[in-house]
Amino acid sequence: MLELKNISKNYKDKKVLMNINLNIQPGEIVSLLGPSGCGKTTLLNIILGLTQQTNGQLLYNGQDISNQSMRDRGFNIVFQDFALFPHLNAYDNIVYGLKNIKEAMSKMEVQEYIDFLELTPHLHKKIHELSGGQKQRVSIARTLVMQPKILLLDEPLSALDGVIKESIKERIQSIARQFNLTTIIVTHDPEEALTLSDKVLIINEGTVSQFGTPQEILHTPENQFVEDFILRQLHIKRHNIYQLFGESYA
Amino acid sequence: MLKTNKMMKLIFLPIIFFFIFFLIVPLLYMFWQSLKKGKAITIQNYVETLQNVEIRDAFLNSFQVSLVAALITTIIAFLLAYAVHFTTMHRSTKKLVQVGITLPMLLPTITYGFVLIYTFGNQGIMTKIFGQPLFTVYGFNGLLIGYVLYTLPVAFILMQNSMQYIDKRFLLVSMLMHDRPLRRFYHTVLRPMLGTIGGAFILSFVLSFTDFGIPASVGGGYKVIATELYQAMLGSIVHFERGAVISIFMLVPAVLGVVMLTILERFNFQYKQVSKSDLVVHRLRDVMFTVFSWVCVGAVFIMFSTIFIVPLTKGYPYDFSFTLEHVKNVLAEQGLKQVYMNSLIVAVLTAVLGVGVAFVAALLNVRTPLKGKKSLDLASMITNTVPGMVLGLSYLFFFTGSSLKGTFLIVIACNIVHFFTTPYLMAKNSLQKMDPTWEVTAELLKDSWLKTVIRVILPNIRPTIYQMFSYYFLNAMVTVSGVIFLVSTKTMLVSTRIKELQHFAKYTDIFVLSIFILCTNLIVKLGCDYIATPKEKTKEHTDEKINSNDVRYS
Repeated sequence: MLELKNISKNYKDKKVLMNINLNIQPGEIVSLLGPSGCGKTTLLNIILGLTQQTNGQLLYNGQDISNQSMRDRGFNIVFQDFALFPHLNAYDNIVYGLKNIKEAMSKMEVQEYIDFLELTPHLHKKIHELSGGQKQRVSIARTLVMQPKILLLDEPLSALDGVIKESIKERIQSIARQFNLTTIIVTHDPEEALTLSDKVLIINEGTVSQFGTPQEILHTPENQFVEDFILRQLHIKRHNIYQLFGESYA
Repeated sequence: MLKTNKMMKLIFLPIIFFFIFFLIVPLLYMFWQSLKKGKAITIQNYVETLQNVEIRDAFLNSFQVSLVAALITTIIAFLLAYAVHFTTMHRSTKKLVQVGITLPMLLPTITYGFVLIYTFGNQGIMTKIFGQPLFTVYGFNGLLIGYVLYTLPVAFILMQNSMQYIDKRFLLVSMLMHDRPLRRFYHTVLRPMLGTIGGAFILSFVLSFTDFGIPASVGGGYKVIATELYQAMLGSIVHFERGAVISIFMLVPAVLGVVMLTILERFNFQYKQVSKSDLVVHRLRDVMFTVFSWVCVGAVFIMFSTIFIVPLTKGYPYDFSFTLEHVKNVLAEQGLKQVYMNSLIVAVLTAVLGVGVAFVAALLNVRTPLKGKKSLDLASMITNTVPGMVLGLSYLFFFTGSSLKGTFLIVIACNIVHFFTTPYLMAKNSLQKMDPTWEVTAELLKDSWLKTVIRVILPNIRPTIYQMFSYYFLNAMVTVSGVIFLVSTKTMLVSTRIKELQHFAKYTDIFVLSIFILCTNLIVKLGCDYIATPKEKTKEHTDEKINSNDVRYS
């Protein structure tokens, strides 16, 4: 379980995050949702250990990790643009980190991940020969073979085309179920957040606007911001789609 | 899609004729000369030249000293660029490196030699400090230091451009993957830089190999190929055929260099985007790189302070009291003032006409469907390969007896061709980044093509134009090797005059003239930089198409 207690972050005089409290259960998918500049990426970096919080505590399974280095925490991240090494092929990217850990997984186990992500036909391709979705999966595989305690995803769908988006969504969900892996996702898209995750943390101007399941957020929005920012968008989308298909599909 | 029109063809023709007349034909003519003996066509000249022990030695010497210089330059340039881009040393130190290291570019290479003599020679500052000369400055040592000073700015600029476009976030990925420092260095810095490192090495080698200014001043008895070529053409006994042969030999490493660069291209790859990531603070590393940077910049400063100390003191190195007498003497001398004016005229005209040629060539290549436009790329490749001395010599052969001989025009034409590659590629880069639909849009709005160029393209490429101008001007001001065979008494330039003053041991005058060049260049460079930078600094790198491997010779 990951606990955030009163996390705050200031850059000089500017308050970026204020008193964030959050509990994330093992195997849960949690989205951090909010408009750009709300502080969600900063929060992600604080969890990862890349950015030091100004105040507050982080606990992982009851143990205080507030001052632990990024390396020692053992969490890992998949970047928005995947950050794959351009001079290595897909396979070498996937096994890149294995050389660095003592109790690395065996070739068989790596192959299991590769099969699971359906990457076998692409292993010897160069990075620029892969499609967006394939790059995404290679990047996820590279991170998973490091056996992270928590998987962080930074805007995982924003670099992908429409159809691929839906299949990657399912993929992320099945990874979390299969490996009972706690997954934290940053996104600015309400639809993405609500359809993908077990719980959603809505952030606005550095504070928690609402934290709950997608159902709770849809049915009992706690404030005006959630209604304006989250629900209105979804209503417009729903309206447009109904119009396209005709009301009979409602 | 834009269609070819008359106007395009009309401006394409003069450009193509210019390159045929001032590049292709002179080179071919020189090659022809190298095969002629009396009236026969033979390879006898080559055989004779190769049998000449002195020339063979000179060739080997050139090879040796250039190789060592290139090696040292590449290592120092890499470390300095690394310090600027991959350490958290203080911002002012980074700025200092960026400015200090590139300062020597504003001076003719021939000045470097005299600077070295006055720093390390018998009367040098270092010699005074240490009581005895640290090493003999004439010959190998002087050449080595001179070449390093000369090629370091270009190698450094190359490396730092390339490093700027390395995605720093890979450092973070590497840390998350638990890499040890050595593996991190390999995958995030060294591997992405391999192509550029190779490029910088080859570039430094070829520049050193073909430079004339440095060996002309500190070469001493150590014969190198550039001085042999000068001797063959303008020495006491003239051997035209031998000169032609030597310059063909001089072309060989340059051509090989270009071939190798093409091969090295395979090592380069482009990052789709460049994201900024905070660099990890590492005290020891930062302190070490700061010290190294200061030492390098300090060395450059100390050496170049000589240029100011010598002419501004009464009797260097015995009487260090300040005086303006030497400067006044130079200013009073009609000849020297005239020479300075000549340089200024040549530099301005080179820059104006050169920018015109380079811009039009790039425009036709990038933004028109003109047939035969690829020939312009070929021209740029050839000008990149041919060393200045070789080009100048080919003019000497070809234009002897014509009315162009001894005019400013021939000097300017030589400069425009010699330094064509870089401004041309600068213009090409900018033009490629512009929206490809502009011409069609303007046509739909009833603009003619020429009007579109003037109303849309030109205003948008202005900053690049200033940079091109500054590049041409600076190089025209400092070049020695390109024009040494072309200047007459009427068209004498500052840089070539320095070569003459050497014979009369008028070193104070040399330094005064060098200060003139330095100041002129500084003013032009700062002026161009100032008007070229947009007033608000909101530059985004992320969407830029990245080309980290433009390696150019001149």
